[in-house]
Amino acid sequence: MTVRKRLLGWLADLALILYFLFALFPIAWMVILSLKPANELFSTYFSFTPTLDGYRTVLGDSEGIPFVRFFVNSLVVSVGAVVLSLVVGLPAAYASARWRFKGSENLMFTLLSFRFAPELTVIIPLFVLYQKLGLFDTYVGMIWVLQLVTLPLIVWIMRSYFADLTPELEQAALLDGYTRKQAFFKVALPLVKPGIAAVSLLAFIFAWNNFVFPLILTSNEAQTVTVGALSFLGGDRPKYNLTAAAALVSVVPPLLLALTIQRYLVRGLSFGAVKS
Amino acid sequence: MIGLRGIRKTYGRTTALDGLELDVREGEFFCLLGPSGAGKTTTLKTVAGLEQPDSGTVELDGKDMRGVEPYDRGVAMCFESYALYPHRSAYDNLASPLRSPRHRLPAAEARDRIGAIAELLGISGLLDRPVGQLSNGQRQRVALGRVLVRPARAFLLDEPLSHLDAKLRQQMRAELKAIGAVQHTTTLYVTHDSVEALALGDRIGVIRNGRIVQTGTREEIWYRPYDTEVARAFGRPRINLLPGTVTEDGGFRSADGKVELPVRAQARAGTDVLVGVRPRDLSLTGPGHELTGTVYVTEVLGRSVEVTVRLGEQQVSLVAARADTTGLRPDDPVRLAVRPENLLLFEADGPQGPGRLIGTR
Repeated sequence: MTVRKRLLGWLADLALILYFLFALFPIAWMVILSLKPANELFSTYFSFTPTLDGYRTVLGDSEGIPFVRFFVNSLVVSVGAVVLSLVVGLPAAYASARWRFKGSENLMFTLLSFRFAPELTVIIPLFVLYQKLGLFDTYVGMIWVLQLVTLPLIVWIMRSYFADLTPELEQAALLDGYTRKQAFFKVALPLVKPGIAAVSLLAFIFAWNNFVFPLILTSNEAQTVTVGALSFLGGDRPKYNLTAAAALVSVVPPLLLALTIQRYLVRGLSFGAVKS
Repeated sequence: MIGLRGIRKTYGRTTALDGLELDVREGEFFCLLGPSGAGKTTTLKTVAGLEQPDSGTVELDGKDMRGVEPYDRGVAMCFESYALYPHRSAYDNLASPLRSPRHRLPAAEARDRIGAIAELLGISGLLDRPVGQLSNGQRQRVALGRVLVRPARAFLLDEPLSHLDAKLRQQMRAELKAIGAVQHTTTLYVTHDSVEALALGDRIGVIRNGRIVQTGTREEIWYRPYDTEVARAFGRPRINLLPGTVTEDGGFRSADGKVELPVRAQARAGTDVLVGVRPRDLSLTGPGHELTGTVYVTEVLGRSVEVTVRLGEQQVSLVAARADTTGLRPDDPVRLAVRPENLLLFEADGPQGPGRLIGTR
């Protein structure tokens, strides 16, 4: 009995190790690739003399590709998109969670439909519009178009957070002598803070990873890392090491954010507010 | 002072309030008593302006409150769910109304007020704790404190003592009415506990299925209950209700013919009726109309004893002093006495509802 149990334990460990290797292999490959010197890229046998040259080139702007600027662009555009979505989306989510008004469900569904309609369906009209309006290749343009990505996410997730809050907390605030606006800001908002943290992180990652919009709607000034990293593939020989380095650098901000915000992801602040 | 006129409120297909009429007088302590689902909480929320009635009007100080925000109604409410702000300490919860733009008080004055109320409610030692760390009974007292700490046109209290343990509840019940703020503020108090209603209410309103069945002082409710259900709601052990019919001379004969009682029925002979007599109005020794039965069971309740007696095929319970019941054994014959003026005569309960009171002596 115990032998069998132990055997099963080992098998489970083995399975986990196999899965671990499977999951981490692409990342390990990318790391190795990014550390290779250019002359080893296309060798058919395994040779690896680690060098940071790839990273130096990518961050040092020496190939004529301003990767650091792309990086900053990504930060500005993603943060901007999330902030704008929070400002617009939190009140919208609250209102739709608390009040049923005429067309409220249709409105919410329309918002959701932005998420499941492929971005490519609207990209040509958007491209033409952006050219005409002067939004092409600008921060404002990118932040605006990214609302299609971040706003539905924030509104829908925050709506369920607000719906989970008992309205009696805000009602108590109203009777304590606060206005509806104050009840929202002082009572409801602080209680959904963990939700805001989680959804902001998600929205940030979605905005950061977006590829189609910057590909079509930016050229140079507002281009982001997702498109920018591919520039290293152009030219006479694809520079895989530089692409790999660029890709790994661009993973850093979402990763750091995820790590710092992790503890907020645990829900449960409102636990104990209301008798169960 | 608080007036509700023909309030109707439905949630989808369920009717919460069905033409509710209620008048609470200035400075009065009014208890609204009813089972869960009767519409008590909805009534309070309607007064507070948190729920909009489908029809009917809410008046405060004689003014129609239609379209007046909760913020401007100036009433304070204690929620059954406490509705404490979970991200703040007990102190901050108590301070919330005093920091609001409506009641803003200087911090020092607020601190004194909160200290006094906390003292009164026995929560002084808990003020620094986040409410998440308090027990249900402690939270309930904080919730009550948040209401009492502020000036208000009226206090609306939704089962504010329901989660205290028995001893504390009794103590708080006694103290609640002595609190100055409660004494001079109109209070609408909701409860499902008839003992609480009798102990606290200057007047009591009995609510059932979204309507007020009866309003009155505790004496009126006790001696002239509107129907059998109101009669059953008050008093433990419960009122005895004997089924029977009206006799030719307007008296009462039980269904099995074994018990006759001298009521004065204003009903046709043969009408099905119920006679109600409270356990404390039946005695083993006193004067009055006499009945004979046999002892079924006795149960000691401290200084008094509850005796269940078989009267024909019926059982009645009575509460007697311990001294009067010494030596009583099951199956002993026993003589009961009831004063005719303590008899209540009801219509028989029917499919359309509990039987209504049709006569007393």
